[in-house]
Amino acid sequence: MISLKKILVFCSLIFATFAMAAEPLTEPNPADVAFSHAFIGIEGGEIYPFGDLIDAVYNSKYGGFGFRYTYWEDFDGFVHFNYTYFKVRADGIPFPGVHQFIGRLGLDWKWKSIRPLALGAGFTCNWTRADTDDESISGRGGMLTDNETEFGYFFRGNLPFIRTENYQAGLNILWENLWTLPERSNMLSIGIYVERRLW
Amino acid sequence: MKQILFATIFALLLIPAATHAAIDAEMEGMEAVSRDDGTFLVGGPTYQYDRILGAGGLHTESELWTPQKLRQRLLFNRMSILPSWNPIAPSVWIKTGNELGDMIYQDLITETDRPSNRTPIMEAGFRTPSFKGFWATARGFQDDHFSARTAATRKKWVDDEFSLFGENWPMFSTAYAGLGFTNDFVNTSILAGTEYLWLYTASSRWIPVHYSPRVEARIDIAGLFLTAAYEDAEYQNFQKKEKGNRKEWNGSALYSCGSLCKNGILDGSIGVAFRTVEDSGIVYTKLEDDFVLWPFAELIIKPTKRITAAANFGGNNKDWLVQDSIEYRAPAPQNAGATIGIKNISGTRLNPLADDAELYGKTTIDLTPSGQMNLLQSYMQFEDTLGFMSIGGRATLWAEYGAETFEPTEFIDDGPLTYRKGDVERINEWIKGLTGEIWLGLNYQEMFAFKALGGFERIEGPEERYEVEPSEFFTAFTGDWLFRKSFRISHSLRYRSDAEWNLRSENPFVVKGDWYWDMTVEQQFPKQGLFLTGTLIHALTDEAIQIPNGDYDRIRLVCTVKKTF
Repeated sequence: MISLKKILVFCSLIFATFAMAAEPLTEPNPADVAFSHAFIGIEGGEIYPFGDLIDAVYNSKYGGFGFRYTYWEDFDGFVHFNYTYFKVRADGIPFPGVHQFIGRLGLDWKWKSIRPLALGAGFTCNWTRADTDDESISGRGGMLTDNETEFGYFFRGNLPFIRTENYQAGLNILWENLWTLPERSNMLSIGIYVERRLW
Repeated sequence: MKQILFATIFALLLIPAATHAAIDAEMEGMEAVSRDDGTFLVGGPTYQYDRILGAGGLHTESELWTPQKLRQRLLFNRMSILPSWNPIAPSVWIKTGNELGDMIYQDLITETDRPSNRTPIMEAGFRTPSFKGFWATARGFQDDHFSARTAATRKKWVDDEFSLFGENWPMFSTAYAGLGFTNDFVNTSILAGTEYLWLYTASSRWIPVHYSPRVEARIDIAGLFLTAAYEDAEYQNFQKKEKGNRKEWNGSALYSCGSLCKNGILDGSIGVAFRTVEDSGIVYTKLEDDFVLWPFAELIIKPTKRITAAANFGGNNKDWLVQDSIEYRAPAPQNAGATIGIKNISGTRLNPLADDAELYGKTTIDLTPSGQMNLLQSYMQFEDTLGFMSIGGRATLWAEYGAETFEPTEFIDDGPLTYRKGDVERINEWIKGLTGEIWLGLNYQEMFAFKALGGFERIEGPEERYEVEPSEFFTAFTGDWLFRKSFRISHSLRYRSDAEWNLRSENPFVVKGDWYWDMTVEQQFPKQGLFLTGTLIHALTDEAIQIPNGDYDRIRLVCTVKKTF
């Protein structure tokens, strides 16, 4: 059974996000704005699993790249791909770590009242596999010897601190909640990114 | 807490919405998963019980052959859109998703009560833009949902993973590629590929079939629609060392009066469908005489603007099937409408193209009951629109004699699964039904569409002989909205009451009533033809098995990226 409390939080935040999106725009047609600007970027930082995941894996560095584009005048869309190697913290696991690839798709709301901070949300997809060739492991850790995938959602704050005509650097603080069982999994990411404007 | 959640979702439904679209199906042909106007029970991508409440009779929609299903797939005795070989419009797309609830890092710290593996869905394909009329296409698609519980039992039937990708023993896995030519006069295509399928049969067994190759060609020209398919199908039961092969040709020809008749009082079409098979070894089903030819015709007559009579009928040396209706549109004020009609379905078989028998060891399960069925139905419908609001209702009264059922003689356990022997028979007494539906709609320009719908059905008859005792009532709320003409969000929240399978196990198998909530979110880029879509399916719902020998219906998320040309 899905956690009702978390769905409620999720729904409320979606409600808030799209209520904001319902604000009238001055542009004649939002479709004309889409992809009017685009950026590619790289990002690095650290991921902090929290809650019961503290007993499962250590904090880990991550790195990756992203693509950001204009969606509406006051909203940007973005896609991120990151890689992390999590070292195992739990006792009795017969492999040292887990490879994780993350794909994220989301929207940033550039609310003028808090600029340059932008608030974002979206979906995340995590693909994981244990760092071992032994697929005969059973019990704890056994599932990870085959590919494991799980979706979730995230919220983030995007704070650019350097801006030039063609470059932007900033801080990305992101909380994600993965729909895992028997408990949901929570992680916090803090990273620095640098973006190059494409057009 | 659940009340607060429903209140929140209800509030979401009422936010400004879009008039088009709704919940995206997780795969083409799986629309029943999110339908709310009847009893829809999903056993997996290759078997869905899809009974529309107002359709009358005990049969499901996919059991009944109609000329509109000529290009659907025949899966045992059901017509199915999935796995669809309909060429998709020029575009490139990729889809992936998963049943929610994999453990990932929870795996490292969870000693007991470990959840079972969750399984994905995946699809990728393209169709090129037209180059002087010519185009190419390819598509690979596979749905691993609904597979984990039965995989351990099913895998004993086959000698490999029985899929194109992975080791989840999915219910189907398909890949095809082909070429086509399209201009103003002709639309033609030829596709070839390979396909793994598990067919759900009358005995409740999942029968594995591997088509290699499967080839399908289509030509549409001047009102003529031609289809031909060749299937080289391998059957096996690895544990019992059984093997079989079926080489099958099937197809159809349809001539539609189309535009020639549009302005007249008469419209119609004639056609013929066929199957011919060459069996060797054990293939678990049998088509009598290895051949079936099914000529049919459709006729629509509009003697006045208010009266429409429609009929389709087909027949051959073994079977006949007639479906006809007459409908009267009563005079009504502008923006309102009222219709009354009667409908009849009579025939010896619901699907005259299906196989005649299933073979279970030395036992033959007869799928062709003697006699005929007759369904009579009367209905009335009204709808009125008052500005942004519309209301409507529909009531039907039906009676059926000779409804198809199954007469089980023996049940056999196989691990967690139960099979049955017996024959398809008829209920030779009148079954009567009364249905009612009412709906309320709200619309605001392109942004907003909300619909509340409720329905009930009362059936009188020997219910213990029904394969499925359908749900007695349902209620549904759908809300679709489109922000700034480029962000779509759709919701569907609905409740269905209990349904019960009576004949596939010693004791009735009850599918408990439950709430279902689906949501589709889509970023649209109309100028670029780009669509980024995510769909959450069956949130709120308790994980449940909806058909005997089926698998758990789980919460799942499916994401699609599509670029149209």
